[in-house]
Amino acid sequence: MVETKLSRRGFIKASAATAALASAGTVGFNEWSKNYVKAGANAVVKEIPSTCNACSSKCGMIGHVKNGRLWKLTGHPDHPYSKGKLCARGHGYATVVYSKDRLTQPLKRIGEKKFEPISWEQAYREIAEKLNKIIKAHGPQSVALTEDPRASGKFYSPRFINALGSANYYTHHVVCSNARDAGFLHTVGVTATSADISNAKYIMFIGRSYGDGIRPSSVQSLASAKDNGAKIVIVDPRLNNTGNLATEWLAIRPGTDLALVLAMSHVLIKENLHDMEFIKNFTVGFEEYAQELKKYTPEWAEGITGIPADAITRIATDMGKAKPKALIEQSWRGAFGCNYENSTETGRAVAMFNALLGNYQQKGGSIFGGKPTLGKLDKAKHPSPKEPEVPKAGSKEFPIAYPENGVATIVAKEALEGKMKAAIYYHSNAALGYGNPKVMKEALSKMDLVVAIDVQMSETAQLAHYVLPEVTYIERDEVIEGLSGKVPGIALRQQMVDKVHPETKPIHEIYTELAKACGVGQYFNFTLDELNETMLAPTGITYKQLREKGTIMFPNEEITIGELPKLKTPSGKVEFYSETYKAAGFKPIVEWIEPKVSPADDSFRLITGKQAIHSHTQTANIPILMQITKDYDLERIWINPVRAKALGIKDGDMVELKSSEATSKIRVKVTERIHPEAIFVPSHYGITSKDLKTGYGVGFGYMEHVPFDFEKWSGSGNIHEVIVKVRKVNG
Amino acid sequence: MARYGMVIDTRKCVGCYACRVSCQMQNELPVEESYIKFYEKETGVFPNVKNEIIPVQCQHCEDAPCVSVCPTKATYTTKEGIVLVDADKCIGCKYCMVACHYGARTQDHNTGVVEKCRFCAELVAEGKQPACVSTCISNARIFGDLDDPNSEVSKAIVKMNAQPLRPDLGKAKIYYVR
Repeated sequence: MVETKLSRRGFIKASAATAALASAGTVGFNEWSKNYVKAGANAVVKEIPSTCNACSSKCGMIGHVKNGRLWKLTGHPDHPYSKGKLCARGHGYATVVYSKDRLTQPLKRIGEKKFEPISWEQAYREIAEKLNKIIKAHGPQSVALTEDPRASGKFYSPRFINALGSANYYTHHVVCSNARDAGFLHTVGVTATSADISNAKYIMFIGRSYGDGIRPSSVQSLASAKDNGAKIVIVDPRLNNTGNLATEWLAIRPGTDLALVLAMSHVLIKENLHDMEFIKNFTVGFEEYAQELKKYTPEWAEGITGIPADAITRIATDMGKAKPKALIEQSWRGAFGCNYENSTETGRAVAMFNALLGNYQQKGGSIFGGKPTLGKLDKAKHPSPKEPEVPKAGSKEFPIAYPENGVATIVAKEALEGKMKAAIYYHSNAALGYGNPKVMKEALSKMDLVVAIDVQMSETAQLAHYVLPEVTYIERDEVIEGLSGKVPGIALRQQMVDKVHPETKPIHEIYTELAKACGVGQYFNFTLDELNETMLAPTGITYKQLREKGTIMFPNEEITIGELPKLKTPSGKVEFYSETYKAAGFKPIVEWIEPKVSPADDSFRLITGKQAIHSHTQTANIPILMQITKDYDLERIWINPVRAKALGIKDGDMVELKSSEATSKIRVKVTERIHPEAIFVPSHYGITSKDLKTGYGVGFGYMEHVPFDFEKWSGSGNIHEVIVKVRKVNG
Repeated sequence: MARYGMVIDTRKCVGCYACRVSCQMQNELPVEESYIKFYEKETGVFPNVKNEIIPVQCQHCEDAPCVSVCPTKATYTTKEGIVLVDADKCIGCKYCMVACHYGARTQDHNTGVVEKCRFCAELVAEGKQPACVSTCISNARIFGDLDDPNSEVSKAIVKMNAQPLRPDLGKAKIYYVR
């Protein structure tokens, strides 16, 4: 670890030196800095590499710790997601460690929103008693665990719920990438590829904005692709913040991305621009697919998408000519342009379009990344829990869904039906973020036991019977994380500062101790350090080395461009025709599917998306980030000027927004950057927990307007299938 | 001797605020106080629209009005052209705030000192980049020696014909590409 000595405020305070230096009037910079360092000499800054927690990306970062307190962060230069940079969330969310609103001790609910502090021993004992009683009475399948996974959670959470005999492990992807994951999985065998942006000549983004849902290295790659003259097309009903880097914005009618992709695929085949060699060698079902695509002409798509047929033809043709250095980026949040009834099918169509371009495992195309080989616990010494007997709830209803992430909202549905009795939520604010909060809250209140593990009193925690306070990510070590990509690697989240609140614990300790109390401690008979040592063993890297570097990449294991691995689909190839879909009762060939709802002349479709400063609801209570919202009125909804004028609405006016589910009052931003049929609501505002004093009452929660629904294919929340009316009201 | 300056390429800026927050953390500023402000400029009519985000901070003017009006000489320009504030001399009169064409100065409500962007002078002294530059996720910011024709910043100014935000308001050391 490098030690430097710097402190600006420290310097100002130790100001004798400054006064002397400033009295000279104009001084030299070298003189100034010499004195600066002298004055700040007592502040030793330790630099500790770790990983970020401000969104799901987990970029590498370096914590600069001064006098035992986290001072600032910088991006880890070696980590493939950060490449030396951090976004605003990354810089600001770290202040959560010193938040006044943190949970500091275990809590037990003793009334509506009334809690009393209890000891860890009591919490473990009572939770274990209740879990075991529920399992005895209703079977282990009546218990579920949901999280927004991080490195430790990914290992410990499924292990814990499986140890209880339940397969019910879920992630937040139900309101994120479930649709994309399902569409990709059954077409190319993985839930996502990665895009070789910096080498691409033609890049299309659909509903995905690198500048809003940020991974710093992706934005750097896009900027360099732009420098190299790449064409960058953004397909989005709103001109998102990546617009500056784009060469063209296609202002598509929301919910119709599938029609665009089908028509572009049609053009590629019609113009003979598809990669026949790739298709012959690496795909199945092309003939049937090509036959089906004949009806999806650009003229047909123009009527649906609002994008001129000649633009569709031009772009598809140019992408065909640029192949294989052309791609539609794989997106993430609810492929594509978010969660519509047709989003799984859109994901599938995109994976197929990239196959037509033959861009898989090609420079400037879509990449199947390599994974590092990490060690596993010795099963004789550290037994794994048995495979649960009853399959994961939701797997019968949604056989196409990506099984590892599952359909998290099935927990709520089954709770309302009286089948799900207990739920644990770790690092997850399901009550507010997983579809209609009214329904989610009712579901949670129906269960016999809800446990929330969090760092602050989220809406989910408020509804829990027990709240277990975790340390923040700045105060804990975690399980080693394997990084897959062109070059595989590993990264470690490690503790930067001492625990701020003594009665908080890291998640691995909580699960280990709770498992013991539940009588399944034998599956957790190892320490975190032992686990990490075991995982590291095959790499030849020592734990000490990893602690010093934080991120270590394995350039010797770089994947070979041009060599397509055997795909994990049933045929081992790209599937234009899917027997899996057929068996599940869906059409085996991709087809156009209408969105579930459509706006009328006097209404709008409600759409949402990320802002660069917030992720999920966890950042809304961070003062340094929320201040930006306040300074720039970022919680406002977007409306097109033509529609605003017709409704007598001016920029900054207060309006009422009404859907089938809720009514909200909010101010508007009148902007040409949005499709006339859509209203854009930035996520994630509308905190209703009064314990979160910074976030409380700012803006409104998009999800309040979202009907509780499942998309038929992937079970994903249909969070963009919402129609609203808007009218001006007095502010 | 170096003369420090910066290029901000607004064609690359995605308005992510990383520069603002990293600057606040570097300088340990209160959340309400920020050295970087953002202006948005939307042009065109749907669907032919362009949006520009313009980050503005102290431009480190050659003949800085804040320096000439400061009654106590708390604000001064180093030989390298960085405009700095001596916290011990500042009496919080806000004359500099009024004089600044760019609204780039802000008063610390705890100390009363009127501060602003200092090009992260202490990092620069160590051979590092200012916090806003090193964290810029789209490489829209370039920092370096304006007097060295071979520095990245000088080359960028020539290549991209970068101009001060308001050349009519005097010579600045931040150049914009728009």
